[in-house]
Amino acid sequence: MQIAVKNISKDFGKKRSAVHAIKDISLEVEHGEFLGIMGPSGAGKTTLLNMISTNERPDHGQIIIDGLDLTQLHDREQAKYRRNKMGFIYQSFELLDSLNVKENVILPLALNRSNKKLIEERFDYMMNLLNIEGLSHRAVDELSLGQRQIVAAARALINRPEILFADEPTGSLDSKSATILLNYMQMINQKEKTTILMATHDSFTASYCSRVVFIKDGVVFSEVINPGNRDKFFEQIINMQRTIGGGDYFNVSKNY
Amino acid sequence: MYRKIIRRSLSNMRDSYLIYILACSFAIGIFGILESMGDNPSLHFALHMWDSFISDVTSIMSGLFAFCAFVYMIYVGGFFIKQQRNEFLTFEKLGMQRWVIVMISFLQTIIVQALAWLIGMVLMLIFQKFMGMLLFYLMRVRFNFEMHVSLTNLWFLIQVFLVSTLILSIVNAIKTIRILQKKKRRIIIKTRWWLRIPAGIFGFVLLLSAQFCTAMLFKDIRMLGYSSKPLTEVFYIMTADIFGTYLVYFGFLPFVLNILERVHSLSYSGVNIFSFKYMKDRLFQNISILWFVTELSALALALLTFCYFGYQAVHQNYNNAYPFELAANKDTVRVIKDELKKTDSKVKGTYKTPVKINLVSYYSKNTQSYIRQPMTFMSYSDYMSLPKRMHKGNAKINSHQYLKIDYSSSTFRYDSEPDEHNIQVKNSPMIQTARTGSSFPYGSSMHFGPMMIVPDKYYTKMPAEVEDTFYGWDFKKGDRLSRGQLKRLNSYRDAYFMKVDFKSSLSKSSIEVMKKEPHKYEDTYTQAGFLRQGSIKKRFKQGGGFYLFIVALFSVALLVALGSVLTLRVLLRDDYQSRQLRTLQKIGVEESEIKGIIRRENTLTFVIPIIFALVQSYAAIAMFDVGRHISKNIILIYGGYVILYGLFGIISYQVSWRSVKQKFSL
Ligand SMILES: Nc1ncnc2c1ncn2[C@@H]1O[C@H](COP(=O)(O)OP(=O)(O)OP(=O)(O)O)[C@@H](O)[C@H]1O
Ligand SMILES: [Mg+2]
Repeated sequence: MQIAVKNISKDFGKKRSAVHAIKDISLEVEHGEFLGIMGPSGAGKTTLLNMISTNERPDHGQIIIDGLDLTQLHDREQAKYRRNKMGFIYQSFELLDSLNVKENVILPLALNRSNKKLIEERFDYMMNLLNIEGLSHRAVDELSLGQRQIVAAARALINRPEILFADEPTGSLDSKSATILLNYMQMINQKEKTTILMATHDSFTASYCSRVVFIKDGVVFSEVINPGNRDKFFEQIINMQRTIGGGDYFNVSKNY
Repeated sequence: MYRKIIRRSLSNMRDSYLIYILACSFAIGIFGILESMGDNPSLHFALHMWDSFISDVTSIMSGLFAFCAFVYMIYVGGFFIKQQRNEFLTFEKLGMQRWVIVMISFLQTIIVQALAWLIGMVLMLIFQKFMGMLLFYLMRVRFNFEMHVSLTNLWFLIQVFLVSTLILSIVNAIKTIRILQKKKRRIIIKTRWWLRIPAGIFGFVLLLSAQFCTAMLFKDIRMLGYSSKPLTEVFYIMTADIFGTYLVYFGFLPFVLNILERVHSLSYSGVNIFSFKYMKDRLFQNISILWFVTELSALALALLTFCYFGYQAVHQNYNNAYPFELAANKDTVRVIKDELKKTDSKVKGTYKTPVKINLVSYYSKNTQSYIRQPMTFMSYSDYMSLPKRMHKGNAKINSHQYLKIDYSSSTFRYDSEPDEHNIQVKNSPMIQTARTGSSFPYGSSMHFGPMMIVPDKYYTKMPAEVEDTFYGWDFKKGDRLSRGQLKRLNSYRDAYFMKVDFKSSLSKSSIEVMKKEPHKYEDTYTQAGFLRQGSIKKRFKQGGGFYLFIVALFSVALLVALGSVLTLRVLLRDDYQSRQLRTLQKIGVEESEIKGIIRRENTLTFVIPIIFALVQSYAAIAMFDVGRHISKNIILIYGGYVILYGLFGIISYQVSWRSVKQKFSL
């Protein structure tokens, strides 16, 4: 077991108008697992990922990764941990406007002061793989949403993180790019044993996971384990979404 | 609804507004104090001997001050409107009518101004007494400064408030209208390297040449009297500095940053990959402000230099004229001593020096003619036994050298005259070389014409046409001579008169001493009976204090203005710029590294202008500090300025980091 989340909760806002984003969630993730997190909008998916990835501190509870209680670490150490072990694809991309695509993608490597050869090598490989060599020298604010998303993904993957957090990584992608990205994620998950936590609304995307956790109103509602057959798994996910309600049928028709 | 929107936007930018309001209320407070000080009754009472001078100066100064403050407010007030650009555009997209948005910005300005005025007025009330006491202290007047604000003053201030606020609000409303009309989003700055690089290099060359020219000016300034070269140089230095600085900011600095960025081994390491671009971005945005601040700082430093040397010159002149509080000669010493006995003055020191008066002739380079005149001689050891302040301003001599003390031909050049040669003295050996000076022991008005310090041997051997003895007193707290005593002493002002009979050669010429004032003044010289500092000293000290008060006030105000402009510039990041810092944090950049970026940005914004300003103000020293190494005091003055300025830098860094950090926790 690599990640253990124990009874965490998180409120936003002041007392009377407080939003209980996460009420009480416990979760365990094995090393090399590809975990999907699903739930209606506002269910707390992003908040949960942010807390596991130490971007936010939970109000209560513990988050233990590799036996280390992250909630006890200082901001500084958290940042270091985040930088060395984790990769992120944010829902809002979080690309730097003043840098061009290439600089954005190599940022994690540059931050770790990797040598130049390695940087160029990895960069070329990544761009090739995701089919976006043409974008290298474009400015970020000229890109389409989908292009931004895939650039954000390239950035998250370039330093081969141990744990990858992907928040809605395919939300703005066409089905071809989405498939490329998901296949790659699956590949690194299987080959390099990268642990992946992915939040999504989309059942097709979720069907790549080995397990999907459903949360609603800040608590774990249920979970579905991949039986080994993607079509069947997909069916189960859709059923579960219907049960929860608030699942999005638009995405289904668009991607499938 | 409006109230909510205005309240929201005020609280969003509260740090920036706080700085702006404080700077404004400082200016308003000073303005109010200067304005009300002019007709303060205790000022009139304590300083009646200055008549309306003080109140004239304060009201002129307050006018000047108000004008500068107003320009500042218009300029900086615009920052806030610009900052809200996105917000305004969104309001419009959401269907709010244009005039409503304009109204919001109008009201916002009014609220901020009213707040600034309120605080400013309170500051005025609180600090008026304090400033008045400070003024009195500096002018060495022992008097209680009463707080006083007349109704006319108050009414005037209110009028100024109403008019200026109305104008400012209208200006800001117009700015808002312009924003709404030009909807273009983030303006992409054109780099245009083909223009920037040559311009930057040209600017760099200009600055270098200005420095070179300054070095020449150090030498050439002596020719000021008879050559236009130094003036041309000064003009060139000013132009080259002003334009050169702009061009360097415009082209050279971005160019350097760009090169750094291109060197991948440097820029691809750590957070540099972001910070170089970020700095460049910010630099592009702030070029004109940095330039503005640089030139104003240079101006402030030049002004301080000018004031310092001006004060020095006046002080020097004063000291040359009145080195002793009271001086007398052998004819008057007894009367004076008698009068002093009647007062309760405390004598700190008494001095007495014998002098000989003889005839001399020499060729004067200054007037380019032969001069024949009587000259007062003093021996070297007598000269050296006088207090140090008497010979500090003169060239240094040893016991074998000669020193000719004469009136200086210019205020600023008191000790750089070349040596004089071949001075013939009646019935004595010719003096080959004499060093020069202009600081007279016993005061320049104690006797006529120049003075000569000669070696002891020469002095004892030389004959004298007239022999005399000078006396000098120093007191603790003045000589305390009363008005009546001075009236009595008035008849002793002139001790005797010397009528010189010039013949074909010096040895045939002679001096005739007369006790009575002659009818014809031709070739007749007067020996003063006594010389007293008295009220002149008081006046001089008071004038100096007032001068110090005004100069200090202005430099502090200028500093506050410049510092706050820079701070606001650093603080008011565009939305996307502060978002980027947040993003960095999200992908795992340590907070200390982000703090480092902010620190670097701050350092850059603050250090660049002050360095350029210091380099430029060097020229100001060259203009006044003739032939001397840079004096300690000027370094102190500059140091003080830099320290205060640096303080602003540090505050700005703290506030800036705080505002970034606030966004992190969202
Ligand atoms: N910074 C914040 N301040 C206040 N409330 C917040 C903040 N972030 C999230 N919330 C609230 O917490 C709840 C969970 O938000 P979260 O972003 O985790 O939802 P989500 O599951 O990611 O939704 P989506 O599918 O739309 O991305 C929401 O009700 C949201 O309004
Ligand atoms: Mg989300």
